[in-house]
Amino acid sequence: MLVVLSEAQRADLECLPRAGAAGKLNVDVDTIQHGVEGLTYLLTESSKVMISETDFQDSIHVLGFSDELNKLLLQLYLDNRKEIRNVLGELAPRLPSYHNLEWRLDVQLASRSLRQQIKPAVTVKLHLNENGDETAHVLQTDPSTLLHLIQELEQALGEMKTNHCRRIVRNMK
Amino acid sequence: MELSAYAQGGWRLLGDPRCFPRRSYAAVLRAAFRSLLLGHSREGLDDPDLKDIDPTVLKHCHASAAMCILEAGKQKADISAISTCLEDCKLDKERIEQFCTEYQKNKDALEILLGSIGRSPLHITDVSWRLEYQIKNNQLHKTYQPSYLVTLNVEENSDSGSHPDVSFSCTMEQLQDLVGKLKDAAKSLERASQM
Repeated sequence: MLVVLSEAQRADLECLPRAGAAGKLNVDVDTIQHGVEGLTYLLTESSKVMISETDFQDSIHVLGFSDELNKLLLQLYLDNRKEIRNVLGELAPRLPSYHNLEWRLDVQLASRSLRQQIKPAVTVKLHLNENGDETAHVLQTDPSTLLHLIQELEQALGEMKTNHCRRIVRNMK
Repeated sequence: MELSAYAQGGWRLLGDPRCFPRRSYAAVLRAAFRSLLLGHSREGLDDPDLKDIDPTVLKHCHASAAMCILEAGKQKADISAISTCLEDCKLDKERIEQFCTEYQKNKDALEILLGSIGRSPLHITDVSWRLEYQIKNNQLHKTYQPSYLVTLNVEENSDSGSHPDVSFSCTMEQLQDLVGKLKDAAKSLERASQM
């Protein structure tokens, strides 16, 4: 799969060798800006689709750069794609995500309406990350529900190890 | 166990056979228990055994009976404490025994009712989960990673019935962390219960 560059982007990138070879800033700000934008687009798109080395080389071949410059661009791509992908990953739509769980055991001994109680409870503080903000939910549950929660979530974890899921993961790559 | 002056007044009337013949007395007790435990406040008082009783008196006595039931439940009073209290209101042995029998029958339900009153943090009742395998999004292709969506079903203590469920996503490692911590809590709970 190749990265397709539009006319404008090709033009942006084509001014790069000229600026680079000159070594001095004999070029106006606009050209540099376009060059940077073109480069950004090239690297972002390549990282987004996780293009292979060969395909990357084929994509930039159309620009007609020197071999040296092509090698440089390829190296730039390979060195930075993991980080670029991390940054792009942050942009995807997200639900609040798990951060941490704190727990506490309580025993209720009495209340205004009933004396002499022994009512065990587990109080938890669930820390979530929501768009960069940390929220915390204070919740409570009783011992039998706690065991039920553990059982259900262990089942959930076990799902990834089933043949069905393994097969899908294998075939997707 | 102590009753207010108002309640004691009501019980003295309940103990008087001229105001409350035996069947009427039994009907008031039934009505009081039913209105507390089932929440029907009107139904019990429409009992035919009560039609001859003055409504104001009936209301006073019904309330007094309810107050006595609640106080006994709150204090987890035993039979002797209840008997002493009712003796002070001049009730005869038979009527005291009737009340105590009825109280014993309903004691557990009463305790549950009283225990459920009060504020507490949102209570988790259940959990649902969803496992998905992400393939791509519009920002990033070939993401290829599993992700869990967990929803904790939460029930508020008041009767508003609203369900502010808490949902969150997590990776497999994060879910393992969560389950690990819950298991620690469960282990501590087990150890505490053996002490």
